[in-house]
Amino acid sequence: MSGFDARMRPLAVRAGLALLLFAVLPAVLAGFDRSYYYQVANLALIFVLLAASLQLVTGVAGLLHLGHAAFYGVGAYAAALLSTELGLGFTVTLPLAGLIAAVIALLVALPTMRLVSIYFAVATLAIGQMLYLVMLNWVGLTKGPNGIVLTRGLELFGFDLSGRLATYYTVAGVVALSLVALGRLSHSYYGNALRSIREDDQCADAMGVRTARLKMEVFTLSAFFAGVAGALWAHMTGYISPGDFDFGESILILAMIVVGGLGSLPGAAIGALVLILLPEVLRDLGDFRNIMVGLVMFGCILFLPKGLMGEVSALRLARQQFGAAWRRTGNGVGIGWR
Amino acid sequence: MNGTHLLEIAGASRRFGGVLAVDRVDAHVDEGELVGLIGPNGAGKTTLFNLISGFTPPSAGTIRFRGRTINGLRPNQVARLGMGRTFQNLRIFPNMSVFDNVSVGAVGTLPQGPFGALFGGRDRARRISERTWAALETAGLTGVADELAANLSYGRRKYLEIARALAMEPAFLILDEPAAGLNDTETADLAAFIRRLHAGGLTIMLVEHDMTLVMGICQRVVVLASGRKIADAPPDAVRRDPGVLEAYLGGDEE
Amino acid sequence: MIDPYYLQQLAIGLSLGMTYALMAIGFTLIFGVLNVVNFAHGEVYTIGAFAGLVAITAFAPPFLAVLFLALAAGAAAGFSLERIAFRPFRRFTDEASLKSRAMRESTLLSSLAVSIVVREALEIVFGSEMQPLPFEYMINAPVQAGPVTLATGDLIIFGVAAAMLAGLQYMLKRTRIGLSIRAVSNNPLGARYVGINTDRTIVMTFVVGSTMGAAAGILVGLYYGAIFPAMGFIPGVKAFVAMVMGGLSSIPGAVISALILGVSESMATTFLASGWADMVAYGFLILTLVFFPSGLFGAGRERV
Repeated sequence: MSGFDARMRPLAVRAGLALLLFAVLPAVLAGFDRSYYYQVANLALIFVLLAASLQLVTGVAGLLHLGHAAFYGVGAYAAALLSTELGLGFTVTLPLAGLIAAVIALLVALPTMRLVSIYFAVATLAIGQMLYLVMLNWVGLTKGPNGIVLTRGLELFGFDLSGRLATYYTVAGVVALSLVALGRLSHSYYGNALRSIREDDQCADAMGVRTARLKMEVFTLSAFFAGVAGALWAHMTGYISPGDFDFGESILILAMIVVGGLGSLPGAAIGALVLILLPEVLRDLGDFRNIMVGLVMFGCILFLPKGLMGEVSALRLARQQFGAAWRRTGNGVGIGWR
Repeated sequence: MNGTHLLEIAGASRRFGGVLAVDRVDAHVDEGELVGLIGPNGAGKTTLFNLISGFTPPSAGTIRFRGRTINGLRPNQVARLGMGRTFQNLRIFPNMSVFDNVSVGAVGTLPQGPFGALFGGRDRARRISERTWAALETAGLTGVADELAANLSYGRRKYLEIARALAMEPAFLILDEPAAGLNDTETADLAAFIRRLHAGGLTIMLVEHDMTLVMGICQRVVVLASGRKIADAPPDAVRRDPGVLEAYLGGDEE
Repeated sequence: MIDPYYLQQLAIGLSLGMTYALMAIGFTLIFGVLNVVNFAHGEVYTIGAFAGLVAITAFAPPFLAVLFLALAAGAAAGFSLERIAFRPFRRFTDEASLKSRAMRESTLLSSLAVSIVVREALEIVFGSEMQPLPFEYMINAPVQAGPVTLATGDLIIFGVAAAMLAGLQYMLKRTRIGLSIRAVSNNPLGARYVGINTDRTIVMTFVVGSTMGAAAGILVGLYYGAIFPAMGFIPGVKAFVAMVMGGLSSIPGAVISALILGVSESMATTFLASGWADMVAYGFLILTLVFFPSGLFGAGRERV
């Protein structure tokens, strides 16, 4: 690595990741030529996005959120209903699903954001459950437990993208773009303001950080990305039902960031991959798949309190990758993403 | 007189239940001053501090800062008007690097919406970075910028707190018991540092329990006892004030 | 003259509320001594129900024996839970760490993880669907009380719960262990200074709280004939709601709130489809959190 100019490294890393995501992985998938592998890859990518968006709220801003899956569900239902009832295509439903999830998050955030620690956590649990009850019981709108079958798959500006490889590329593209956005939010001055809230919100307040507003913003932003993930899921599978968005799902996403390490975006991605792929690898164990989630989570809390890649180690990584920009001797560009 | 003071406290009171922690205090700080606020334990210094910084609203009276009434403003609003502060019991952000700690001060006092961070925002990032490095340099922390704040020594954390407040580029800096827990040498270094900041044009108020530091560097000293102001004069006059000596129980504190 | 239908709903609501109260007491006691929320409390309820079920299918004991076995299972579950999910994170003994944020968060997550493991393990062993119960153990035979038709279960639940509440009150006020529980929840460090074994007290708190939770589990299981691995989640949330409404550290507050909750839910089914009934509890929770920051009955702890 020493041969590289320090400032080239992030580019190299990102180019490597992009290459892996958009060339190597699809080639491998095409090589195996089995739909099942495509599905697993897409599922893993969607959960990477869900974990990363939760990471922003829970890991970076320190607000324990126990209802994230509900906003994922709101996005999925929004996309499904817009598509089946109004005949809109994926190009329109994707951003709209994110926006609708964000608006609902903003509405529930207004009264609850004053709450601290466990009270916030419990309020998010209640909100998640309320949204879930709506999905389950408002049969007129959501078809209740029967779920919704989507008639239109993935497409972009009229191009049909419902083929296996095209679906993969669409999911990977949307997830990659979202991750870039989430990365900019968490590895920038904005992220530092969020971290200061996590560390000591009274003190952050005295430094001029608008804590209440920032909490609301980050909750809304994370719901936006959860909604985007929901739209991807709805159009990818063509069928959604309330069971995909219950409390267990929220906990699964939380377990991902706990396993990966709170506060670290790469950690969230690793945690999501571990908890999605491990059960797939261990398929022979059958029923033991879900119990693994609990065991891995417990083991991580007990033995790796910082997760696989907690804030501290993540900080070091961020500094190696992006630290060059912070040097005074650098090109003067600050702590924003370059 | 009105409107010319940087900070003006007029008849400020604060009642907690039946206790009048601050009782009709009038005081002011002018631009460029280095003022001390002292008093024995329980005199109401911390409460007055909290009234000024917006942590507690006053029960009565007004507090004006830069010509604006700041009663009832949130601490972050007061901070963004240009008031920087440190905490008595050292409240750094332990799991963030020194650089990130200090940058929060700069972030707090600049526009902080998410869209700047999302879509480029190079200018803002550069300004934050510049302010942060300037504050780190003033406080002599450039060498440990990448260190985790939790790993700093106690003495250095004090400077970290001050640097974080400096990154706000405040018009007025209040230091809450900066000398607490420091030995004599460290206190002397700190005194020199505060003098340097003052010489650089910063208006500073020092809230202290111990008189030594305050008497040594301040131009004017406000003394509180039992919630009331009992003296407001240059250090020499305060030193000779019998009321002050009495409040400090014989005055042999220094 | 009140419509007998409403009286009947009231009675059903009270017995439902009593089961929430039994659960809520466990939450409240544990929150009192440790200042943490035990997310695995719902699983204790499930364990109580399953212990009773196993006893019934294995050797068909009399009803009281089933109840006591369930209580014993609850006590054992509480003991193990404290050992597995809580004690490992209590590394220091000063007050700061006993009530520290780090400990709160890691035990919150660890109890969550334990609850997943327990639920999934039960699913592996028993399957996720409702378990068949022998008819003679069900406590839902109709009883006529004036114009109102009740089930034996309503009476049994009310009776058992009232007895347990009285027992708890006696224990907290009159026995040594009860006094130490109260001492530790008032001031853990002070309790330690006067020679109370805080670790032992904490274990006892879990045992007592879990016993009551398990009682609720088996009673509800036998009443509704619905014993399944995920049965504990909803009552757990509701008991938590009752605790928050009651002001967090007040046992009478939690019990009264639990009864209010039970009655409101039972009344709500008059106007709402039963699927929406849970909305009542969540609505109560949000309203309490937002408008009554210290619970419905006065002083609580800071939360905003």
